[in-house]
Amino acid sequence: MYATLTCVSFGILFVVVFLSTTRFMRHQIDDSVSSEIEEILAASGDRLFQGICGAVDGLSKHPSGFLYLLENTQGVAKAGNLPAIDPQQGIREWGTTGHGAPAEYAGLRGRGLVLPAGFLFVGWRTHQLLEMQEMIIGSFAWGLAASIGLAVAGGFIMSGRLMRRIETVSTTSRTIVGDDLEQRLPVTRADDEIDHLAVSINAMLDRIADLMRDLRQVTTDIAHDLRTPLTRLRQRLELAKRAEAPASAAAATFESAVVEIDSILGIFSALLRIAQIESRSRSAGFKVIELTALLDTVAELYRPMAEEKGHLLIETLPSSLRVLGESELLMQLFANLIENALRHSPRGSTVEIEARQIHERVNVSITDNGRGIPADQRMKVLQRFYRLEVSRTTAGNGLGLSLANAIAKLHDATLELSDAAPGLCVTIELPGIA
Amino acid sequence: MKILLIEDDAETAYYISQGLTGDGHHVDMEANGAVGLRRAVTDAWDLLIIDRMLPQLDGVSIVHTLRQRALTMPVLLLTTLGGVDDRVDGLNAGADDYLVKPFSFAELLARVAALGRRPPRLAVETTLAIADLEINLLDRSVTRGGAAVDLPPREFRLLVYLMNNRDQIVTRSMLLGNVWDVHFDPNTTVVETHISRLRSKIDRGHSPALIHTVRGSGYTLRAPP
Repeated sequence: MYATLTCVSFGILFVVVFLSTTRFMRHQIDDSVSSEIEEILAASGDRLFQGICGAVDGLSKHPSGFLYLLENTQGVAKAGNLPAIDPQQGIREWGTTGHGAPAEYAGLRGRGLVLPAGFLFVGWRTHQLLEMQEMIIGSFAWGLAASIGLAVAGGFIMSGRLMRRIETVSTTSRTIVGDDLEQRLPVTRADDEIDHLAVSINAMLDRIADLMRDLRQVTTDIAHDLRTPLTRLRQRLELAKRAEAPASAAAATFESAVVEIDSILGIFSALLRIAQIESRSRSAGFKVIELTALLDTVAELYRPMAEEKGHLLIETLPSSLRVLGESELLMQLFANLIENALRHSPRGSTVEIEARQIHERVNVSITDNGRGIPADQRMKVLQRFYRLEVSRTTAGNGLGLSLANAIAKLHDATLELSDAAPGLCVTIELPGIA
Repeated sequence: MKILLIEDDAETAYYISQGLTGDGHHVDMEANGAVGLRRAVTDAWDLLIIDRMLPQLDGVSIVHTLRQRALTMPVLLLTTLGGVDDRVDGLNAGADDYLVKPFSFAELLARVAALGRRPPRLAVETTLAIADLEINLLDRSVTRGGAAVDLPPREFRLLVYLMNNRDQIVTRSMLLGNVWDVHFDPNTTVVETHISRLRSKIDRGHSPALIHTVRGSGYTLRAPP
C-alpha cells in the first residue's frame, strides 16, 4: 500500500521534472541559437552575404559547440561545418536518426533563417538534452527502485517489530494464564499505544494478583481457623467412642461438640453475611434512621455486659441524628465495634460512643482506652480473619471488623482506625440527610 | 399440634419431623410447593413450617397466597439464606416467624411452642401474674410479693415477653429479636447479663425462683406447680 503510493507520487514527480527540464533545456538551446544568429548578423554588419560568410567561417573554426551552415540561393553550402539542407525558416530538430537529413543533423536542434541571399542555420547538439533526459530517467529509476525497496523493507521491519511486540504480549499472557501470575508485560521506552496497552494490562494483572493473594490468604485462614475447632471436636468424639467412657461423659462430649460446631457454623454464616453485604449495591430499601435512638439501643444492649466487666460505657449523643440506611445492618455495625472495644480492653476501661453532625456528614466514633492497635496493623485488622497476636486467645472469629467494614462500605461510609493514645478510636463517617 | 412441614430436602425434613414428633406433635411432610399449598388449604393445621426454596412454588408465595385467602394459621418460614431482606420479605408476606438454617433443635421447638400457643391477646388484659409476681401493663409497674420492683423500660419489656411465654423456653435469639429488635447474633453473654440483672431484681430474696436458665436452649419463666 505504502509502496504503491510511493510509486505513484514518484511517477508524478518524475513526469513533472522530466517535462519541465526538457522544456527548459530546449528553451536554452533555442535562446542561445537565436542569440548566436543575432551575433552573426551583427558581426556581418551590412548583412551582405559575403559578410555573413566571413563571420560564419570565423566562428566555425573555433569549436564552441555551435554548428553552422550558410548556403546560397542555389542550395550550395558556402560556409560552416554542416552540409546543405533544404532551407526552412524557424526552429527545427532532428532525432537521433536524422529523418532523411544528412548524418550530421542527427541529434541536432537549431534555427534556420532565410536570408535574401541564401539560408543561415545555427544548430546545437541535443545530446546534452538527451543525456540529461537519460540521467533524469536513470536517477528516477534508481530512486524509485531504492525508495520502493526502502518502503517495502521499512514496512516489513516496522510491521515485523509491531508483530513481534504483539507476539510478546500474547506469549507473556499465555505464560501468565499458564502459571506465573507474577510475570508482567515488557514496557518499552517508546511510550506508544502498545506500551499503553501493556501498562493497562499490567495494572489489571496487579489487581488480579492482589485479589488472588487475598483469596489465598482467606482460604488459608478459613482452613486454619476451622481446623482447630474441628480437631478438638474429633478428639472429643474419639474419646467418647471408647468403650470405657461413662455414659455421662458421652453426654457432656455431645454437648460440647454441638457448641464447637455452632462456633464453626458461626464462622461460616459471618463469612456468608460479609459476602452477601459486599455483593449488594447501595440498597433502594434504605430508610431514614434515627441514629441516636439506634445507638442508644445498642449501648443499652451492651451496658450490663460492660458493667459486669467493670467498664464504663459513656454516650455523647445529640438529641437527633438522621442517616439513610438499613437499621439492622447499622445496628450490627455499631454492635460489632462496641463489642470489640469491650472485649479487647482491660478491666475497668472506658468506652465512649460519640456522635455528631459535621456539615453534611454524620460522624460516629467509638473510643476505648485499652491496648489499641499498632499503626502498621490498623489496615490489616479490617481483613477477614486477621487477628492481632495478643488477641488470638480471646473469643471472636476475626470477622467482626471485616463485617463492620463491609456494612460501612454499603452505606457509603468510611471506617477509620486511629490512635486514641492510649487505646483505639474507630470513626464511622456516614452521609447525613440534608 | 398438627403441623404441616413443606420442605424439599428429605434429610432436613426427617430431622425436623423426628424432633417435633418426639416433642409430641403430629407432623405431615410435603416436598413440593404447589402440592404443599393445596394441602395447607384443604386441611386444618395448627402450624405450617415452610421452607423458602421449594420446587414449583416458593415459600414466600405460599404464605402470601394463604394470607390473601384470609387463612390465619401460624406460619414459620425456614431459610438457608439469612440476609436482612429475606427476613423482611418473609414477614411482610405474612409469616409469623422466621428461622435461619442451620438452627438448633431447642430453637425450633421453642419457636414452634411460641407460635402454637400464641393466644389471641385480649385487649382487656391489663395485669399478668405468676406466683407472687404481678405486672401491671397500664402503669407499667411490677410487684413481687407485694413489694414494688423498679425496672427500666427494656427490662420491663423483657419481663413482659417472658411472662407472655411463661412455662415455655424462650431462646436468646427470640429475646434479641422481640425485646431489642436485634436480628443478628451478637456476643451471647449480652442476653445473659440482661437476664441475670432481671433475675437479681425479681428473684433475689424471694422464693420460689421464677426465672430459670435452660442449659443449651434459653430461659423460661416458670412457677413450681
